[in-house]
Amino acid sequence: MNSTSDDELLDQLAQVLERADPMPADLLDRVRFAIDLESYLDVEVARWEHGSALAGVRSSAEPGSVTFTVDDLTVMVSFLRTQRGYRIDGWLAPAGPHTVEVRIDGHGSSTTTADANGRFVLPDVPRGVTQILVHLADNGRSARTVVTPTLVL
Amino acid sequence: MSLSTTDDPPWEGLDGAERHAVCLTAARAGDRAALHVLVNELTPLVWHVVRGQGLNRPAAEDVVQTVWLALLRNLNRLTEPRALAAWLITTARREAVRVRSAEQTGASAAPAEVFDQMPSTDGQPEAEAVRDDRDRRLWSAFRRLPRRCQELLRLTVLAGRARYEAVAEAMGMPRGSIGPTRGRCLDSLRALLDAEGGSR
Repeated sequence: MNSTSDDELLDQLAQVLERADPMPADLLDRVRFAIDLESYLDVEVARWEHGSALAGVRSSAEPGSVTFTVDDLTVMVSFLRTQRGYRIDGWLAPAGPHTVEVRIDGHGSSTTTADANGRFVLPDVPRGVTQILVHLADNGRSARTVVTPTLVL
Repeated sequence: MSLSTTDDPPWEGLDGAERHAVCLTAARAGDRAALHVLVNELTPLVWHVVRGQGLNRPAAEDVVQTVWLALLRNLNRLTEPRALAAWLITTARREAVRVRSAEQTGASAAPAEVFDQMPSTDGQPEAEAVRDDRDRRLWSAFRRLPRRCQELLRLTVLAGRARYEAVAEAMGMPRGSIGPTRGRCLDSLRALLDAEGGSR
């Protein structure tokens, strides 16, 4: 009769969970990078629109586009490969003079401002672990910052 | 390694919920090293909570980050620092369920109660992912448990005994029923293992 005690079985289970379904090796780095923001106040987490992060950038070698949203803002971003990295074309709605910041792990960040139609362009962004932030301009009042989880570009 | 004691961070030598409460308090005061300790030590728990909900690995990676980003926003709003693990488990679970339901929109999504009782293999590695023979049999049996059992076992294995309270709260169970329910889940697991062993 095979009678493993509860504690033994739980110990074995702890090991097998770790072996069968381990965290991705780079996940801790990506989390630490994602939360290493200048200010924690008024940070609002954006969510990828259904399937867009999976169908777009990450699952294929070729760049694509992603859409992310918070309650009152939708941001579409497309990535086009350049010689050194990526060109980012984006569009946000509703339009406003919001500051868009793209952070790349180890490469600082690039910043631009959306135009009257909500469009923005960053012509040359290095490849790497990438996070997009939108600093919402709200009639001069320093308002919220919308942040995404990281993408690996 | 430093022999200095005055420079040791305040969480040095502490463990479990107490250590994490001290880290959280320090993180509120702007100590990023403290926040990194929390990330390093509690991300595995968050990962398994999310995976226990059947999300595939890329989706789970996003949810793990979403949970930590959400913590930043709530850093000063958590009234009880010792309840951090409970907050992480609850937030991770809610977010994973939200993502899962969004993915299932349009498809015939099973009601939650039915879903909980189904064996859950979606999104999970195949038994072949595990090399060792004993591990492979255990993993294969684990995958045939009802989802609710899988989740309870993942959570109690990872969160440790000190956090039964957190697990109970997140799963909407009375604290006193965690032990007995887990016992029944382990019995089912044993039965599955024995059945499999018998065919060998």
